Amino acid sequence: MAIGANAPARVTTIYKAPSAFSRNAPGYLFLLPWLIGFFGLTLGPAIASLYLSLTDYNLLQAPDWVGLDNYVRIATADDKFISSMKVTLFYVVCSVPLKLTFALLVALLLNRGIRGLPVYRAIFYLPSLLGSSVAIAVLWRQIFDADGVVNTLLWYLFGINGPSWISNPDYSLYTLVILAVWQFGSPMIIFLAGLRQIPTDLYEAASLDGASKVRIFFKITLPLLTPVIFFNAVVQTIDAFKAFTPAYVISSGTGGPIDSTLFYTLYLYQEAFGYFRMGYASALAWILVIIIAIFTAFSFLSARYWVHYDD
Amino acid sequence: MTDAKLTHFPEDLSPPRERPWFFSILIHVALIGASILMLYPLLWMLSGSVKDQNEIFGTASLIPSHFDFSSFPRGWFGGQVNFGSFVWNSVVIAVLSVIGNVISCSLAAYAFARLNFWGKSFWFALMLGTLMLPYHVTLIPQYILFLKLGWVKTMLPLVVPKFLAVDAFFIFLMVQFFRGIPRELDEAAMMDGCSPWRIYWRIMLPLSLPVLATAAIFSFIWTWDDFFGPLIYLSDINTYTVQLGLRSFVDSTGSSDWSSLFAMSSLSLIPVFLIFLFFQRLLIDGIATAGLKR
Repeated sequence: MAIGANAPARVTTIYKAPSAFSRNAPGYLFLLPWLIGFFGLTLGPAIASLYLSLTDYNLLQAPDWVGLDNYVRIATADDKFISSMKVTLFYVVCSVPLKLTFALLVALLLNRGIRGLPVYRAIFYLPSLLGSSVAIAVLWRQIFDADGVVNTLLWYLFGINGPSWISNPDYSLYTLVILAVWQFGSPMIIFLAGLRQIPTDLYEAASLDGASKVRIFFKITLPLLTPVIFFNAVVQTIDAFKAFTPAYVISSGTGGPIDSTLFYTLYLYQEAFGYFRMGYASALAWILVIIIAIFTAFSFLSARYWVHYDD
Repeated sequence: MTDAKLTHFPEDLSPPRERPWFFSILIHVALIGASILMLYPLLWMLSGSVKDQNEIFGTASLIPSHFDFSSFPRGWFGGQVNFGSFVWNSVVIAVLSVIGNVISCSLAAYAFARLNFWGKSFWFALMLGTLMLPYHVTLIPQYILFLKLGWVKTMLPLVVPKFLAVDAFFIFLMVQFFRGIPRELDEAAMMDGCSPWRIYWRIMLPLSLPVLATAAIFSFIWTWDDFFGPLIYLSDINTYTVQLGLRSFVDSTGSSDWSSLFAMSSLSLIPVFLIFLFFQRLLIDGIATAGLKR
């Protein structure tokens, strides 16, 4: 047919290939705010920070090139670096596993078709939501005060005269660990969601085969939950490395008593905004990035051996 | 994992498995005990705000022997600057941050989820990379930049970055949501000659209200609770946010007026608490979704 043969030819004459500009322009226009932010507030500053870390800079005089001196001093001659790193690592190693254990235990309890689930979930989540505010840090300082509520309870229940937790360097860091563990709510919610994703037919099949509850937990629940455990562990660890507000408020910005709560971020803050040693503080920031990166890389490498992906 | 929908929890689970009644009771007892432990510090603070000075310490009881609300006006008006000013500053910063984040992140997310352009996957990978970069690296040069611009001691360094989509987490959340909206919708609109802008504004945004609300709520709470940013950039007490005001209150009252300190602390938590009450579902879904995405 003549009409049928002509039709495609007509289409090709109407159709005009869009120019490269009109194909790409909308995408870049929508991306514009992000691009400005990325170059101006992320990439640019990151490069500047790398440069500053090789200088002495106090905001007043021009940066003074010192090469790797800052890094050498951090590695060899900075007691505060070592003590703050120890405090931070201790905090990470203590608080993260405890927090995740509580989160998982409570999630398992809540995941049993329990009445009032929304209420319990809300109650357990609330402290994590309020967690990073100054009010909570202030509250914690009062709870663990010499005559605070913890010691009152210890006295009434066990007849123990508790120490002054906050001002005793042997205990002050533990109070911050307890504060972190108290905020197990958001990993708990992620665990709950993860538990929901496990297909119920697996459980049905296992119980038909006569598997015990313990066996079902270790052979089905735990392996299928490993991706979620992994995610929570990585996120919580990075967050713990970055903790700042509670240590700052509880020690009134000093990291005391005798540097027992001098978190790495607090030390960095003091160097940068207390003494205006911007170059040195930039080097400290890069060391933190490297430590977090090493940790994250290590987690991902280890994940091959224990994280179970079913795809 | 399907990346489209926020996972909704059914309120009542599929038929509870058979179990002895005493076992149920045991679980509830454990959970109620844990709940009391979780809430006790918060209730203690609240009750401390209406207790007599001497009564706050030395007793673990939550019920005051008599209620004394004078701590609230004492705390509110007691400082060098009254607390209303801190609240106002916090509200302005938080509201502007919410607007900035929602607009700028949704624009970027729309580009990443729906438009095709040269270099898209490269930019997308960079955006994901910024998710992992600790803020400490950019902190000092950003400070210097804002200092050179003359923005330090104003709220600009706290607000302007939010209009430039620096919170990659929200972009990521929105991209995941946008990808779940059927493609046919915007393809049909494009056939009808709709511009990308119209598609974004008339189709994507209205269909994405849940994820936009989630981002808005988290954005508000995080800005409200933020202490570090204001600590660095705000040094004039008239520009202090609630968090800074509260801390200066701790320092200035020293160890004297506990009940008004508790009163102001409790007040500072109210906005977050109210948002939590009203938008619990969105918050919990948001957290859950973020954790299940890989």
